[in-house]
Amino acid sequence: MDTTVKKDSAEKIPFLERPMVRTILPIAGFVVICVIFAILTDGKLFRPKNLTLLLSQSYMLLISSIGVFMIMTMGGLDFSQGSMLGVCSIVICYLSHYNIVLAIIGGVVTGGLIGLINGYFNVKRKITSFIVTICTMYLFRGVVAYATTSSPVYAVSDISKYNTLPFMLTFTVIIFAVTFFVFTFTGLGSRLKAIGAGETAARYAGIRVERTKMLIFMTAGCITGLAAFVNSVKVGSVTSTAGNQLETQIMIALVLGGMPVNGGAKVKFYNIILGVMTYKILSSGLVMLMISTQMQQLILGIIFLVEVALFSDRKTGMIVK
Amino acid sequence: MGEVLLKADNIDKHFGITHALDHVSLTFGKGEIHALIGENGSGKSTLTSCLTGIYQKDSGTFTLEGKEITAKNQVEANHQGVAIVVQEMGTLSGLTVAENIFLGNENDFISHGIKNTSAMNKKAQEYLDSYGFNYIDATRVIDDYNFEERKLIEIVKSTYFNPKVLVVDETTTALGQKGREELFKVMHKIRDEGNCVIFISHDLEEVIEQADNISVLRDGVMIGSISKAEATTDKLKQMMVGREIGENYYRTDYGEKISDEVVISVKNVTVKGQIENLSLELHKGEILGIGGLSECGMHEVGKAIFGASYFREGSVTLGDGTPINSIPDAIKHSMAYASKDRDNESLVINDTIGENICLPSLEDLKKNGILLGKNMKAFAEKYAAQMSTKMTGVDQFVSALSGGNKQKVVLARWIGKDSDLIILDSPTRGIDVKVKADIYAMMDNMRKSGKSIIMISEEIMELLGMADRILIMKDGKINGEFFRSESLKDTDLINNMI
Repeated sequence: MDTTVKKDSAEKIPFLERPMVRTILPIAGFVVICVIFAILTDGKLFRPKNLTLLLSQSYMLLISSIGVFMIMTMGGLDFSQGSMLGVCSIVICYLSHYNIVLAIIGGVVTGGLIGLINGYFNVKRKITSFIVTICTMYLFRGVVAYATTSSPVYAVSDISKYNTLPFMLTFTVIIFAVTFFVFTFTGLGSRLKAIGAGETAARYAGIRVERTKMLIFMTAGCITGLAAFVNSVKVGSVTSTAGNQLETQIMIALVLGGMPVNGGAKVKFYNIILGVMTYKILSSGLVMLMISTQMQQLILGIIFLVEVALFSDRKTGMIVK
Repeated sequence: MGEVLLKADNIDKHFGITHALDHVSLTFGKGEIHALIGENGSGKSTLTSCLTGIYQKDSGTFTLEGKEITAKNQVEANHQGVAIVVQEMGTLSGLTVAENIFLGNENDFISHGIKNTSAMNKKAQEYLDSYGFNYIDATRVIDDYNFEERKLIEIVKSTYFNPKVLVVDETTTALGQKGREELFKVMHKIRDEGNCVIFISHDLEEVIEQADNISVLRDGVMIGSISKAEATTDKLKQMMVGREIGENYYRTDYGEKISDEVVISVKNVTVKGQIENLSLELHKGEILGIGGLSECGMHEVGKAIFGASYFREGSVTLGDGTPINSIPDAIKHSMAYASKDRDNESLVINDTIGENICLPSLEDLKKNGILLGKNMKAFAEKYAAQMSTKMTGVDQFVSALSGGNKQKVVLARWIGKDSDLIILDSPTRGIDVKVKADIYAMMDNMRKSGKSIIMISEEIMELLGMADRILIMKDGKINGEFFRSESLKDTDLINNMI
C-alpha cells in the first residue's frame, strides 16, 4: 500500500512545484532577461562601463537583502528596511565626522536596535512581522524626515574615498562570505528553515524559536547598518527619501531569485545573489530603454505578481508570521 | 424496533491509510433513540459525519424513508431532514443568536435582495421561547452567552426545522446537569414525534438510560447492536474493547522487577484545565503506560514533562534533581518526545527527512564548530535506515510519507540523539500492523538497554501488552495504578477510566 501511495503522490506533483523546475526557473529567468535586454539595448547594457556601474548600484541591495532573506526564511517579512537604512545612514553620516570605524559601528548598532524593536513586537507581543514592520516603516520614515527637515545630513566629505570598486566589492564579498558561512555551516540555516516550515514542530525539536527570531531581526538590522554605510559612501548625504522603497526592491529581488515568499525548506542562499542581479539588470535595462518611471513600476509590479504566484507554496498556504 | 426510518448500507471511508469505516451497515427505526458507542477512533463520529455531509463517504448509501440521500455539507443535510449537534463549539463568534440559528438559511428572510433582520430575530425568538429558553435574547451577540447556553442555542439551530434524524455527538460532555436535561427533553420530543435520534456518548450509564437501542463500533467495524433491555455497562465495555488479534507482537515477559532508580520525578504538576496536581515517578528501564479516555489530560502529561506546556505549575526533575522547565532543557538532558500530533508537533512536515532527523542533533554533528552537509546526510541516512524508513532518499519531504513512516522518522531522530528518557504519545496511532510490531520491538529493546519509556496511549491492549506499570487517568488526575501481570484485564483498566 505504501508504494502505491508514494507513486500516486509523485505523479501528482504539478509541473511548477517540481524541485528541478523550481531550481531552473529563476536561472532561466535571469538568462532570458539578460538576453532580452542585450537585444533591446543593442548590447549596450553589457558593456564593461555599464556593468561596473550596475555593480556599484547593487552593493546596497545585495547587502540589505541578506537580512530580509533570513527573516523570510523563517516565514516572516520585513517592510521596515528602507526606513531603517535611512535612520542608519543619518547616524553614519553624523558620526563619520569623528571617525569612520565609529560611524560603521554606530550604523550597525542603530540597525540592531531597530531590529530589536521589530523583534520585540513580533515575538513578545505576538503581532505578525508583516504588520509590525509596516508600522516601524512609517515610524522611522518619520524620524528620517524629521532629521532631514532643514537640510540633508552630510557625511564627512572624504568618505567618498572609499567609493572604489575594490573596496566596495571586498566589503560586500566579506559580508556575503561571513553570512553564508554562518547560514550554512553552523546549523542556523537548518533552524531557520525549520521555523519557516513549521514553527511548532521546530519548537518540539528543541529550537529556541523566540530567541532565534529575536536574534535574526536584530541581525537583519545590523546588516542593514552595513548597507547604510555602503549607501553613505556612495551618496555622501541623507535626504528624507533615503532608502525609500528599498523594502519592495529587496522583496522583488528575492522572489526573482526563486525564494518562496513564505520561506521554509526550499530556500537557498544563492537566491539572494541571483535575485538581486536579475532585478538590477531588469531595472537598469528599463532605464536604458528610456521607459518612464511610472511604466517601470507597472512592469516591475506585474513581474513581481507573476513570480509570487509561481513560487508561493500553495500546499502550506500563505502564513506570514 | 418499529418501522425503518434510516438505513446505512455498506458505508466505507478511508483517511489515507486508515480504514475509518469498514463497510458499516446499520438501520435506525422510527421513534427511537439509537446510541452509537465505541472507543476513540472506532468510527462513530466518522459515520455520522458522512451522514451529515461533514465528510464524504468513499462508498455505500444512506437511505432515508426509502430515498437515497447524499449531502455535500451540513446545510444540504438539513434540507434532507438530517441535523447534527457536535461536541465542539458549533456556533460562530461575532454573530447574533438569530444569525447563528439561521446560518446558511438566511435566504428565507431575504426579499428583493434585502435581509429582513427584524423578521429573523422575531422568528428566532419564537423558536427559543418554544424550547423554554426565553432567557436567551435572539438579537444579542452569541459571545454574550456562556458555553452551555451556546450549546442550547445550537440545539435549537439543529432542531427547529423538525429534522427526521438528529445526531447528538458527545454533546453531553460539554453540558452541566441542567443543560443535559434540556438536551434529553429535546431528544425525547423528537423520538415521540416518530423521528430518530442518533446519540453518541462515552458515558455508558447515560447511554443505557437514554437509548432504546445501542450499536457498537470498533476500529471502523460494526460489532453489533443490542436493545436497552439486554444492555449492561460490562457487556458494552466488552463489545467496545474486544480482543486483539495477533497478540504475540507485544512483549511476552512477565514478573520482571522494576529498578528502584528514579530517572524522572514529577511533583504536583498542574496545567490549568488539563492536569490537576499530578505526581509520578519513572524508573530506569521501565515502560510506564499512561491510559485513559482521550480527554482525561494524559496527552498533556507528556508535554508537561518535556517542558512543552505553557503555564505549568509544579516541578519536573531528573533523578539527580536537575529541573526540566523547557524543551531545550529536556533535550539537553537526554529526553525525547513523540507527540500524538505527528504532523504539527513531532515533525516539520514541509521539510526533508534528513533535516527532521538532524534538527535536535545539529550541535552534536559539528566538527570543530563546523557543520557539514555531508555529515548531516550520513547521520540521517544511518538512522533512517536503522528504522527501515521507506523513502526515496533523505532529501524527500516528510509530507509525502505515510503515517507509519512519519513515525519512523520521529523515532529515528531520537534514536540518533541517543535519548535515554523517551516519552511516546500514541506511538502507534494510525499505523498499520507491520510498523506497529516494529515499534513495539524497538521499545522492548530500548527497555532492555536501560532506557526508560513513558507510553501514553488510548489503546488498552497496547498498555496491557507493553507496560511494566500502568497509570490510568481520569479528569486530569491519576485514578488507579496497575502492575504488569498476566491476570490484568482490560475491564480493570476501563473501570478506572469511565
